[in-house]
Amino acid sequence: MDVILEQYFDLDIITDNFSIVLDGFWQTLLLSGIGGALALTWGLILALLRQLPGRPLAPVRAVAIAYIDVFRGIPMLLVLLLVSGSLGAFASEGTIPESIGIPRWLGKPDPFWYGIIALTITYGAYMAEVYRAGIEAVPHGQMEAARSLGMSHGKAMRFVIVPQAVRKVIPPLLNDFIALMKDTSLVSVIGFVEVVQVGRDVQSETFNSSALTLGAILFLVFTIPLARLVDYLIARQQRYTRAGGPPAEPAPAGAAGTGQTGGPV
Amino acid sequence: MAESMVKLEQVRKSFGSLEVLRGIDFDVTKGEVICVLGPSGSGKSTLLRCINLLEPPDSGRILLEGMEITAGQGKNKLGIDLVRRRIGMVFQQFNLFPHMSAIENVSLAQSKVLNRGQGEARTKAAGLLKRVGLADKLDEYPDRLSGGQQQRVAIARALAMDPHVMLFDEVTSALDPELIKEVLDVMRELADEGMTMIVVTHEMGFARDVGDRVVFMDGGVVVEEGPAKQVIDDAKEERTKRFLGLVLEH
Repeated sequence: MDVILEQYFDLDIITDNFSIVLDGFWQTLLLSGIGGALALTWGLILALLRQLPGRPLAPVRAVAIAYIDVFRGIPMLLVLLLVSGSLGAFASEGTIPESIGIPRWLGKPDPFWYGIIALTITYGAYMAEVYRAGIEAVPHGQMEAARSLGMSHGKAMRFVIVPQAVRKVIPPLLNDFIALMKDTSLVSVIGFVEVVQVGRDVQSETFNSSALTLGAILFLVFTIPLARLVDYLIARQQRYTRAGGPPAEPAPAGAAGTGQTGGPV
Repeated sequence: MAESMVKLEQVRKSFGSLEVLRGIDFDVTKGEVICVLGPSGSGKSTLLRCINLLEPPDSGRILLEGMEITAGQGKNKLGIDLVRRRIGMVFQQFNLFPHMSAIENVSLAQSKVLNRGQGEARTKAAGLLKRVGLADKLDEYPDRLSGGQQQRVAIARALAMDPHVMLFDEVTSALDPELIKEVLDVMRELADEGMTMIVVTHEMGFARDVGDRVVFMDGGVVVEEGPAKQVIDDAKEERTKRFLGLVLEH
């Protein structure tokens, strides 16, 4: 028992390395925050491209669908290696400017930005599917009502459909964000020092895993409350949906489905 | 000769192999209230949805105030949006925007489509909501309103665009009986003020009293049309009689 405690919870090791593990976790948070924000944005753009109306835009829809299929279907580690390997090579060949091929924006090293790019590419595809589910869950009558008022498809999306869709999918988006946060640890593979890499370094020096345990605890400090928040939001949505009709007068047949349409005919 | 507001010439529409509209001819003059009756599946709703191009017809022509709106559809999206501004539509299921209060529902398209300023749009919205009897519900969200109230907000929302013609698609069918009257009263007022209206309805009393003309549809064609009282009280066609007999009996 003592052996186990010492291997995972050695207080001396934890205390000695606390500040570097914390620094590493700060890098993890930066990757999660910037990568998460970009993935949320890129995912929405992909979902909107996928929903463009009309026959002339079919190629755009096809490209969006192909993109989503591809990047949901391959490991993020592979994307990360493709990005980090190829961008640097292009830059040294002069195919693309060095500031893009070997990005050092905001004082961050290039592996950080390769990580951000890979997170955005991969999680953008996941989140696009979540947004799509939200957009498709908005009753068709909402689009018709907006169009019947003279709004263009774009305006109807922006002011009517997307605001409703986003509300519906906040819980699954948060779930994807939790997954994204954990996948930031993959960036250690291309030499970026975040919390997992710090833990590994300490582990290989001391043959003790307590720094990694500390890293795990730091993750849980964020992921468990996020998971609880997701549960709370889902429960609240269900309560709201079940409550449905107005309290003042008897609920009319159509009240719960404020936006439902009777069908195509 | 009164000014033509909406004119349909041989309008056809199919969904897959099912031909829902089989050559509809139809003329509505300015200020007229037309009630469209008929059994479900007769193509009434599709007809309305063709008029504001929510369902573009497969063939035939539709003219709005003398201008053809079916020409070049698909290529000219701006044209479609312009057409829809002049045609207000109210739906069976209300289709209010649930994430917006009543006044926001009525203001949104004014500011985003007509570029009216926030103040102007809200003033107009408040005036219209007052007109439909909802002056005390401006800031309520749709889920806090009864069906009848929601439908009146939907009417105000359509009126906010200053439409030249209003389409009503079975707007009382989803309502409890005691809420129907408040919606019909608003529509009656609108008719009295001279609004051109095409009303798909099962409310025979409304059609008879408020309608100038009644169009009876079945199987995707117009079976009979004429002055409202004459068609409802003394239909010529056997099919119309049978339908009215069934509806008026109960």
